[in-house]
Amino acid sequence: MHREIALIGAYIPALVPLCIGGAALTWLIDRLLARVGLYRFVWHPALFRASLLACICGVLGLAVYR
Amino acid sequence: MANPILRVPRSLPALQAAWMDWARTDGLTWVYILKALGAAFLALGIAMRLDLPQPRTAMTTVFIVMQPQSGAILAKSFYRIGGTLVGLVATLLLIAVFAPQRELFLGALALWTGICTAGAARNRNFRSYGFLLAGYTAALIGIPAAQHPDGAFLSALTRAAEVTLGVLCAGFVGALVLPQHASLQMRTTVRARFSAFVEYVSATLSGLVDRAQIERTNARFLAEIVGFEAMRSMAVFESPETRGRSGRLARLNSEFMSASTRFHALHQLMNRLREAGATEAVQALEPYFKELAPLLHPPGEPVLTAADAAGSARKLETFKAALPRRVRAVRNALGARPGFALLDFDTASELLYRFVDDMHAYALTYASLATTTHERERWPERYEPKTNAVLTSIAGVRGVIVMAVLSAFWIATAWPNGGTLVLNAAAVCALASSSPRPTRMAYQMAAGTIVATLVGFIVVFGVYPHIDGFPLLCATLAPPLAFGVLMTTRPPLAGFGAGYCIFFCVLAAPDNGVRYDPAGFANNAIALVLSMVACAIAYSVLLPPSTPWVRGHLLADLRRQVVLACRAPLARVRPRFESRARDLAFQAHALMQQDPAAQRDALAWLIAVLEVGHAVIDLRCELTALPGDARYAATMPWRRSIAHSAKALTALFARPTDTRLDAALAANVDAIAATQQALAAFAPPREARHRLQRILSHLHFVRTALIDPESPLARYAGTVRRGNAASA
Repeated sequence: MHREIALIGAYIPALVPLCIGGAALTWLIDRLLARVGLYRFVWHPALFRASLLACICGVLGLAVYR
Repeated sequence: MANPILRVPRSLPALQAAWMDWARTDGLTWVYILKALGAAFLALGIAMRLDLPQPRTAMTTVFIVMQPQSGAILAKSFYRIGGTLVGLVATLLLIAVFAPQRELFLGALALWTGICTAGAARNRNFRSYGFLLAGYTAALIGIPAAQHPDGAFLSALTRAAEVTLGVLCAGFVGALVLPQHASLQMRTTVRARFSAFVEYVSATLSGLVDRAQIERTNARFLAEIVGFEAMRSMAVFESPETRGRSGRLARLNSEFMSASTRFHALHQLMNRLREAGATEAVQALEPYFKELAPLLHPPGEPVLTAADAAGSARKLETFKAALPRRVRAVRNALGARPGFALLDFDTASELLYRFVDDMHAYALTYASLATTTHERERWPERYEPKTNAVLTSIAGVRGVIVMAVLSAFWIATAWPNGGTLVLNAAAVCALASSSPRPTRMAYQMAAGTIVATLVGFIVVFGVYPHIDGFPLLCATLAPPLAFGVLMTTRPPLAGFGAGYCIFFCVLAAPDNGVRYDPAGFANNAIALVLSMVACAIAYSVLLPPSTPWVRGHLLADLRRQVVLACRAPLARVRPRFESRARDLAFQAHALMQQDPAAQRDALAWLIAVLEVGHAVIDLRCELTALPGDARYAATMPWRRSIAHSAKALTALFARPTDTRLDAALAANVDAIAATQQALAAFAPPREARHRLQRILSHLHFVRTALIDPESPLARYAGTVRRGNAASA
């Protein structure tokens, strides 16, 4: 994947749409995990959620920077 | 030392207890100050690292969005980013269309800001922030950009990036570092309110409470109901767990409203009966009250938890199931006696049954909060805090006028700092309009800005030349900012703290290359203070919100809720009526903070409206549930006379006058007589007979509410009473 993609004629870093997608994916997974009841066993749910976001965006970032 | 509080703790457990106490109270304030500073420096550092042109915008944003609870930060951030984007698009549009003509551009900007100010005043939850930011961002981006239209697009984008960075930093620090959850606070509130209400009911039933205290308690419940809704709208942003309970929490609030109205009605009715000398009916009912109190709250037990509430609910259910039969037995025994106020007794026992029913539902919903999912979650009603339309448009028009006057001043004087003046007026107008007391807020912000100017001057010209590097910069900025954040945590000084923090950042926060320009600093500071003073003057002179006219308008709107109760579709009328009446009364209460007599008047109207509206809704429910027999058709004379009395009631509450009160009373008496006649003539089967009796008791309750000497309607009864006295 290219590091920059053209959006309506303007070049933007490919990471931007990837991170937006990552945030959406995190939200989805977060809802799923909450439905399963995982958060009862998590010490710091907000930290867990933020780490989840970082992991997912990082993995998606590997598609560009590898 | 004699005073045990001032004794120095010496033993280890005492020290531990003192530490815990500190951590629960003042410790939280310190944690919040550290979090706010951390978020601000994080935003500043990242913005400087990324070489954004104005890192101070990011830092300012942090102080605008920072709130003690993490849910509040996320909620604000969500709406703030949305509002920023809307403002960005609007500005680009305005610049594209009007940039060459500054009069047109400033006029359009003033209109846009006015609309956004109105929106901010209309919504009193976090949507208000979206509107605030949409207006503020438009001014923030638009005014500098319009002076240099060639670079407008790029500067608009970087501004939006800085604002977003500030929002994200505040959100991350707030949620990750020692989070304080609104949901936790909410759990405490729910529990405290359930216990407080149950205690209040028990105390009032045993006759231990005087009228002044009842009024105070009702005012407190009113504020709590409105505050609870605001808290719920924040807490859903915190965790899916709270979101899963959100429906039940909304339902809890609604059931609380319903139960407290009913209880108040019951209490008022008993008082009226006592005063009217119907002692037999009162004595016949009092044993039930004595039984009810310990069911709700076993004496000597501590605060109720959700699990205890389940026990209360079970006991209430047994009591409720047995109640009708027991009351009927008493009724049959006493009803034969001559002079027994049968209608009063029926009305009171009906209210008692309804109250037990409401209390049962309230306890059940409270108990259901103990589990994550529950069938009681399905609750379609939503409480919508909306400011009255007239107040909203006043705020909007005021915003437009302030912006237009300041823009005209800028154009006429060609003052180089006029842009700062207009820009900040937009922000202050919107910020102040969403607070309950805008004038004081604007004056406090002006005071905060003056102090911020002095401190900022010392920091910029006294300290910056001697320091080097980011850590030292943070160390320099921390003490003055910590002072401001501390002020924001003190409710009476919140406006001062907000003005100080925000405008300290605007004036004194460093950019990547610090420019030392005392004249420019002074000019900016003067522009800021002037804009705030202009807003404060506009708020106190231009359509001030506490004029008698606005107050009268709010009360009229409150009374019109009875018309809603009479006419709106029956399916969703009850929660809508309850929440709207309470919301209006809360606004009136907040507006008249300096005038306790007017506040009492507003509360009295609320009570009158709630009593009559509730009875009308109950009456309508019973009427629709009547069997489909020709004798109960809506065209029958007795149904017509009830419809006529409802019409007289709406006329009375739409615009109360002496003649309308008389007409409403007369129509009500006619309706009672017609229904009694129908009851005697039809000799209906048991089910229908009870329904007719309930209809009678609702009608009778409306009557007692109308003739209550404590009600604000009593002042319209003058002529008839005088007339009767003269003829007698």
